[in-house]
Amino acid sequence: MFIARSEYDRGINTFSPEGRLFQVEYSLEAIKLGSTAIGITTSSGTVLGVEKRITSSLLETSSVEKVVEIDRHIGCAMSGLQADARSMIEHARVTSQSHVFHYAEPIGVESCTQAICDLALRFGESASGEEEESIMSRPFGVALLIAGYDEEGPSLYHAEPSGTFYRYDAKAIGSGSEGAQAELQSSYHKSLTLQEAEELVLKTLKQVMEEKLDANNVQLASVTKDKGFRVYGDEEMKACVGRIEGDS
Amino acid sequence: MNHLPQAWGRPRDDIYGAYDHSYLPQTHANTHPTTHTQSPVVTGTSVLGLKFKDGVVLAADNLASYGSLARFTDVKRLKPFNRKAVVGFGGDVSDMQYLDRLLNSLDVQENYSGAATTEEDDGEAPAATADGEGGEDKHKAILDAKNLHTYLSKVLYKRRSDFNPLWNAILVAGLTTPPPPAPSTSTSSPKDTTTSKPTGPAPSRKPIPYLAYADLLGTTYSSPTLATGFGAHLAVPIMRRAVPDEAAAAKLSREEAVEIVKKCMKVLFYRDARSMNEYSLCVIDGKGVDLQENIKLEGESWAFAEGIKGYGTQTV
Amino acid sequence: MAAFTSYVSSAGQPSYSFPQQQSAPSHASRAPIQHSFYPYTDNGGSTLGISGDNFTIIAGDTRSTSGYNINTRYEPKLFRIGGEGSEHKGSKIVLSVVGFAADGHALKERLDTVVKMYRYQHGKEMSVNACAQRLSHILYNKRFFPYYVQAILGGVDEEGRGALYSYDPVGSYEREFCRAAGAGASLIMPFLDNQVNLKNQYEPAAPQGLEKPQLVPQPLQRAATEELVRDAFTSAVERHIEVGDGLQMMIITKDGIEEVFSPLKMD
Repeated sequence: MFIARSEYDRGINTFSPEGRLFQVEYSLEAIKLGSTAIGITTSSGTVLGVEKRITSSLLETSSVEKVVEIDRHIGCAMSGLQADARSMIEHARVTSQSHVFHYAEPIGVESCTQAICDLALRFGESASGEEEESIMSRPFGVALLIAGYDEEGPSLYHAEPSGTFYRYDAKAIGSGSEGAQAELQSSYHKSLTLQEAEELVLKTLKQVMEEKLDANNVQLASVTKDKGFRVYGDEEMKACVGRIEGDS
Repeated sequence: MNHLPQAWGRPRDDIYGAYDHSYLPQTHANTHPTTHTQSPVVTGTSVLGLKFKDGVVLAADNLASYGSLARFTDVKRLKPFNRKAVVGFGGDVSDMQYLDRLLNSLDVQENYSGAATTEEDDGEAPAATADGEGGEDKHKAILDAKNLHTYLSKVLYKRRSDFNPLWNAILVAGLTTPPPPAPSTSTSSPKDTTTSKPTGPAPSRKPIPYLAYADLLGTTYSSPTLATGFGAHLAVPIMRRAVPDEAAAAKLSREEAVEIVKKCMKVLFYRDARSMNEYSLCVIDGKGVDLQENIKLEGESWAFAEGIKGYGTQTV
Repeated sequence: MAAFTSYVSSAGQPSYSFPQQQSAPSHASRAPIQHSFYPYTDNGGSTLGISGDNFTIIAGDTRSTSGYNINTRYEPKLFRIGGEGSEHKGSKIVLSVVGFAADGHALKERLDTVVKMYRYQHGKEMSVNACAQRLSHILYNKRFFPYYVQAILGGVDEEGRGALYSYDPVGSYEREFCRAAGAGASLIMPFLDNQVNLKNQYEPAAPQGLEKPQLVPQPLQRAATEELVRDAFTSAVERHIEVGDGLQMMIITKDGIEEVFSPLKMD
């Protein structure tokens, strides 16, 4: 698969004769190595769930942070190179705060996603005479699931390193995404409650995870109108995991 | 003169000491101070403008003064831009010449872009399709008086904001095509007290007369009668008596308009010490620009002067 | 360039090859450098805004002056903000500016672009309170070379109530029920205090003394408010030479902007 592409691999902004940007495509591959992350939208809010890869029993599980807050009403889950996500999230947080500063209102979820994606293609050599130096040497190696609640209601966006984003009812990214997406496809329906969505996220994660799912190696978060973005605490995680254990 | 060209034309350091930059802001330290026009030098006096039913009359005398000295007596201060717009300049003459050059290069640019046709093409110009103006105006879009006024006022406002003003007060006269009639939803009102606005876009898309003012501060306004400088005091009241509003201007004939403006030029010559008896007069209407640059003041009579005592209000 | 600096002593002061009676420019002994160009002027006129339960009225006279001259009798001080194209179709925000008209125009164009860009970037119309905050920032960002204007912004808020914001030239702002600005402000504002906020008005039947109950402001009706605005301006025209010629009113409701023009005295 990866043969004889070296010529067009060199310049990261160089199209191949088939019209492809290989480095961008490779960055999508990087995400397929990442841990699985799932998001599901319901009428009352959006649920995010991520798999934490606990590589050692000595690892402090709470230090694995894959779901983070962007603003009170927006949060995101990531899969891929964690460090790359930091600069994207930083940008999103600044953009959100500057929106409040300028307009005295919370930023829209789509606008926030757009702001993140604007950052995604600022890699590579900049043409001479261009004002701005490019700030990155390669595309991001991380994909984000952005969940939020604004005047349009709850929403879920998927942002890729290519700079494109789409809105989803339910979406899975990362290593287990293929299986997980198929599961979501068959189990998702519009009338899911938030609780059912939490369970669907956990069940789907359970199916695709290599380790056995427990309250420590997954993390849930949700965005609702009343509580905004919220990462679930230990007790709540145990309760949620307990619910699906009881079911099966 | 020494071997350092930087020092030429400046006080000699060995005699006067080095230039003291200490009073300059840090950004200017060790460079020459930037200099801006702080007052006009060679100046032109009033410009008059009057709208009539199918065009505008513009007038300004041919004098450029150096303080109270009548320095140049053949300076033409009405500058035609194209067949739809003329600019009349009051204030600093060198700044006028700069703006004239600017406008010429703008005109050249506009013509090269292929959008404009010149007066020579009038007959053969193909019917415009791009701007959808239909048969009313067969020419492709060219910068009209309103466009030109917007452009000039932005140049002037930019320069005042840079503290480097172009010391002029200008009138832009000519024609403009009104925007398509606004949707009635936003302006309808059944109020009986409502009268038609003094200036409002005409319902048809026929080019209408346009006259507007702009000055060194970027201040702009439009009126059927306008004058810069001394003319604002002396000529505007005379013109307003004949043309109090847009409705009156829409009834005025070209001949009447020219007559009123000529009368005002005479009054200005009588009372404005920085004026002369030779002037330019320009009529812009649907047929194009008719500019006369060496009109002599007619029927001049100083007989009235005998009767004037003091400021003219004194009777005994 | 060495020649330029070689006569500066170690103290940083210029030294001379012979005794000087009058030193070369030395800032310490001189008055500050004066610039004779003053970049502002006052174009007179007055504006006024009143917000009601479900509408806001912004009004302004149409006279433009410089000193004792009337520049023109029709130069609007009210501008539609946002909406589609240069016609501002569908706009529901009005900005009024009084003071230095050139700055007013520049400000209006800045705000209009911002509001239009907002619609492209966020896919929705900007609310009045978002616009109000943005306008404040535009003014504040130019605080060292201010837009010399008193601005009033009007619209209908997200709950459908009339919204009115008033500004100083450097961006301090406040939401109010009524505000007059410009040349006639000192004549109009006390009238508004009395008639809109019912200041110094008491229950007629109440006993005299300290415990006289103050009348409580009631939500205004649109027709009555329009008359109030007209009265305010006809009175201001009588007493202020820079106010007159025409009264332009814009009434903003949830359905859009209605414009009404009525003549004022032209003397």
